[in-house]
Amino acid sequence: MTLRERIGMTFVYLALGVAILLALFPFWWMVDTSLKRPVDIFSGVALWPQQLTLDSYYRLANDYHFGSFLLNSVIIVSSAVAVSLGLGTLAAYALARFRMRFGVRQMALYLVLLVRMLPGIMLCIPLYIVLAKWGLLNTRLGLILIYAGLNTSFVVWMMQSFIEEIPRDIEEAAMVDGDSRLSALWRIVIPLAAPGLVATAIFSVITTYNDFIIALTLTSTPDAQTIPVGVSTLIGKIEIQWGPMAAAGVVGALPIVIFALVVQRNFVRGLTLGAVK
Amino acid sequence: MTTATNIVVEREGRVQRLRAASVPYLLLLPAVIALAAVSLYPTLDGIRASLHRFRYGLDMGFTGGDNFTAVYNDPVFWQAIGTTALFVAFVVSIETLLGLLLALLVARELRFAGLIRVALILPMTIAPVVVGVIWRLLYASDIGVVDPLFQALGLGAPHVLAHPLSAFLGLVTVDVWEWTPLLFLIILAGLQSMPQDPLEAARVDGASALQTFFHHTLPLLRPVLLVAVVLRTIDAVGTFDQIFVLTKGGPGVSTQLISIYAYNTAFLFNQYGRAMAMLIGVLVVLILLMVAAVRLMRRSSQVIE
Repeated sequence: MTLRERIGMTFVYLALGVAILLALFPFWWMVDTSLKRPVDIFSGVALWPQQLTLDSYYRLANDYHFGSFLLNSVIIVSSAVAVSLGLGTLAAYALARFRMRFGVRQMALYLVLLVRMLPGIMLCIPLYIVLAKWGLLNTRLGLILIYAGLNTSFVVWMMQSFIEEIPRDIEEAAMVDGDSRLSALWRIVIPLAAPGLVATAIFSVITTYNDFIIALTLTSTPDAQTIPVGVSTLIGKIEIQWGPMAAAGVVGALPIVIFALVVQRNFVRGLTLGAVK
Repeated sequence: MTTATNIVVEREGRVQRLRAASVPYLLLLPAVIALAAVSLYPTLDGIRASLHRFRYGLDMGFTGGDNFTAVYNDPVFWQAIGTTALFVAFVVSIETLLGLLLALLVARELRFAGLIRVALILPMTIAPVVVGVIWRLLYASDIGVVDPLFQALGLGAPHVLAHPLSAFLGLVTVDVWEWTPLLFLIILAGLQSMPQDPLEAARVDGASALQTFFHHTLPLLRPVLLVAVVLRTIDAVGTFDQIFVLTKGGPGVSTQLISIYAYNTAFLFNQYGRAMAMLIGVLVVLILLMVAAVRLMRRSSQVIE
């Protein structure tokens, strides 16, 4: 390496160091605040808690219904993701393996993209009116149905590209040996697409878990409110409880940050949503 | 006898073929129904609602284009559209530039490449509501970091969220922090799948790094950049969560994007029809952008693959 190249690389690492600091410091400030005592929160900028305490987390669990927000999120996210994985994988298989007539394929893909691109605010007004009609406002079931539908678009998009990568020969061989289409899909394609399916499931969990506006407009009490809505209810008050609010942010972010670290590689693919393969 | 059997066999064959031909459509059907239920249906029902009058949240019947006239004559609506356009223009251009810069830095042999990438994309992975909380904690005048930082630099404390201009810029900063990673990721993927030969050739011919970038890298990257910009623009138009958490559109209406104004109209004032009338105009623009995105995506995936 010449001197010039070495200086260049030093500059690259330095610039990346600054970028990483800017990306991560805000997280640290939240964690830091959540671990401080109320007095210390107000005693100026301290980059490390003067005295560690989990007080804010206890208050979050005891005074602010966080247990029920968490339970709602778990139930709603897992049911909605399970349903959408089923519907979406079947559709993705059809799109990846068959030629279709009447422009059905094109229409299906446009529908998938329409769902992906409609802003939440556009959906939640009509959905509010519908759920009110059916008595599903402020219920877990209402949110499960809507999230399952929305997330199906993501599953179709991702699984289609994963299934296309699996060679057809294997399942055709199985079908020659007497398997039906569906049993070939179940016994051959799904196991081979398992890594893609896992990645898709993880992203589905993340996007569903992160959603705010739909849950905000369609729920009104801790009976059905999810974590992001729970976090926002801590802010609405006249006096903001900084400690519990920071703790709520940490609890809200933690599952996702852990996911990100565990599935680094597949993560990237889901985040760019197949825009660039 | 033989002909009869033949006819039966033939008929069974036809039934079987028909069944086989219907398989893909049957597989597709449940998903299409689910997707239509959460996209086409709300869109159509929204159009219907925009033609009705609501009072206290109750449908008072058909009113023709009244909602559209009211929206058209509403200065606050146009102000929200202006704020949204300005916001989108700011965040998309800044994020694209920074994303490109970061991608160029990372697209090389690096130590800890995986960790660097994950650290850089973390902001876009967490819930936008949590992003709002994080920046609320940073901007807060009594417990935050931003005001003390400005004071340490000898400048006055800006109280970011208390003044119209600084609140707007503060929200732009939040969005840039959150979404630059997406542009970075897409552009990085584009850079890494780029053919290396022309770049090598240019280097051998003695082109400087800047020349190579402008004459070779940038033109090759164009389709990817366009896709990224269109996708990000579509999402940015609907920005809601962070603003709801940070300013709720204030102070005054200085950070009231169209999504916040529509939300208030629908859920604070219960005027669903009027809110939908607002959003339908926005939807038309978004659909045009979506069609553009699909076209570009098809073209760019051809370039890359």
